[in-house]
Amino acid sequence: MSSETILVQNLSKTYQVPEREGGFGAAVQSFFKRKYKDVKAVQQVSFKISQGEIVGFLGPNGAGKTTTLKMLSGLLHPTAGSANVLGFTPWELKQDYLRSMTLVMGQRNRLSWDIPAADSFLLNQAIYRLPDDEYKRTYKELDELLELEPLVKKPVRNLSLGERMKCEIAAGLLHRPKVLFLDEPTIGLDITGQARIREFLREYNRRTGATILLTSHYMADVTALCERIIIIHHGNLKYDGGINDLSRRIAPFKLIGVLLAESNSHNLSQYGTPVQNTEDAEKHYIQVKAEDVTQVTSRLLADMPIHDITITDPPIEDVIERAFNE
Amino acid sequence: MLKIFQRLWQVNWAEQWQYRANLLMYLLYWLVSPIIYLAVWTSIANAKGNVSGFTANDFVTYYMTLLIVDQITSNIVIHTFGYKIQDGTLSGELIRPIHPMLTNALVNNIAFKALTIMGLLPVWAILFFLFKPDFSHVALSGILIALPAMILGFFIGYLLSATITALAFWTTRSFSIHEFYFALILLFSGQFVPLTLMPKLVQDIAQYLPFQLLIYYPIQVILGKLSTAQIIQGYVMAGIWLVIAIALFNWVWRNGVKRFSAVGA
Repeated sequence: MSSETILVQNLSKTYQVPEREGGFGAAVQSFFKRKYKDVKAVQQVSFKISQGEIVGFLGPNGAGKTTTLKMLSGLLHPTAGSANVLGFTPWELKQDYLRSMTLVMGQRNRLSWDIPAADSFLLNQAIYRLPDDEYKRTYKELDELLELEPLVKKPVRNLSLGERMKCEIAAGLLHRPKVLFLDEPTIGLDITGQARIREFLREYNRRTGATILLTSHYMADVTALCERIIIIHHGNLKYDGGINDLSRRIAPFKLIGVLLAESNSHNLSQYGTPVQNTEDAEKHYIQVKAEDVTQVTSRLLADMPIHDITITDPPIEDVIERAFNE
Repeated sequence: MLKIFQRLWQVNWAEQWQYRANLLMYLLYWLVSPIIYLAVWTSIANAKGNVSGFTANDFVTYYMTLLIVDQITSNIVIHTFGYKIQDGTLSGELIRPIHPMLTNALVNNIAFKALTIMGLLPVWAILFFLFKPDFSHVALSGILIALPAMILGFFIGYLLSATITALAFWTTRSFSIHEFYFALILLFSGQFVPLTLMPKLVQDIAQYLPFQLLIYYPIQVILGKLSTAQIIQGYVMAGIWLVIAIALFNWVWRNGVKRFSAVGA
């Protein structure tokens, strides 16, 4: 037994995807002899996650994030490698394992489409063998955070995407799992909704010591919740470490923004690489190596008619983008 | 476990109830062929006096019993579950700590049956008044002996259909395989005509196949056409096929899940 909650070693998944050319001849040919193409979705990925950690799992579309989450939750058998979660091999689908973890995907999967969510919740209570008082307590907590009560009596098909997402998350957490795999948990929610889910996840993690691995396209989710991130791209692990170390390791740059007193175009390119910032068109931005920041700033202040100056880290999105492209 | 089935029933009953109009359409469609056989064979028997010893009343009682027996022993799991494997919606069910096909899908089928049987009863009553069958030779004991046989028949049929449905883990053509399976049912179960009217060869083969356990055997038990030895032989066959069906399903399911690719989800 390892002391890690999640232990992944050289996990790989190769899909065999049938392919054929268009046209009748090819269709006939493929009837007799099908051609397959190997798609390496995940390649030799290894990482460890300790109990109580919240880890952000990042990568562009098709990077292998969801495939990894599916293997860790037991839906998929890997092509090679091993994984151990809470002492179980996920894809053996042992009932004790399924009772102690959850997989929430950003679309319907736990709720029955045709009936109110409340009925699906009660079914989950029976399936996960939750005693009445425990079930009611958990439901009450979820209701407080997600404001479920107005939603749960309507058939799920009549809910909006955001409302459905709230119910999905609730359905996935009623059994108080120890490990949470969340694939885009805030997709389709408005800003307030996203913030609530984040707040809820942080609180849930604090209260229960649950381990959380989440993917998200909203960087705010990641920066608000995760101290550690894992980045994969083309199925390969690119980065595993603190979110604060990321910019230092991947992009050791700072952005200096200056508001000049005279709008005539001063030549800033001698101080650093000019960059566009669409959000703030008034200021001119240059990118400077982290170790040169002090020196460049003092030169700028000496040489230029400066109204305002800011020094910031590059946006996390840009840093991650850079990590993908390395 | 009982509570799980109870809640599954509530959910599935509510779901099926939402689709009661569809269900009624399905029922009417399903009723068409047995009623046509019934009408055709009775008019032939009426014209000729009998067909190989079958009188018009024999045909009417056979098909009217068939309507009920088939409704009890048949299943629709290929239609309610096959797509879940192919489009990945199985994902949500696969990570619940209960077996998707032996709990939820099973209860779903039973809820479906409960509703179609409710829909069948008025149709059956109308046919009763139209054809005025003579059921006087049917004894309560025959019905009581046939009940466990029908339940066995349902489980054998369900597991075999579930096995074929689970082939969807390998091929997107499991529906075609099920169509072939359904053709075998038509031929060997006694759904077209009572098996005794089939060629000797078909009868001999049918005896060892599971399909007659779903239709012909329970009907014959209800109509009191079998000797005690034949009844026992039927139950033995049902026991053997149940074991085979369980083994087949287990093997296909266990190996199929390993190939599940959870697409689209």
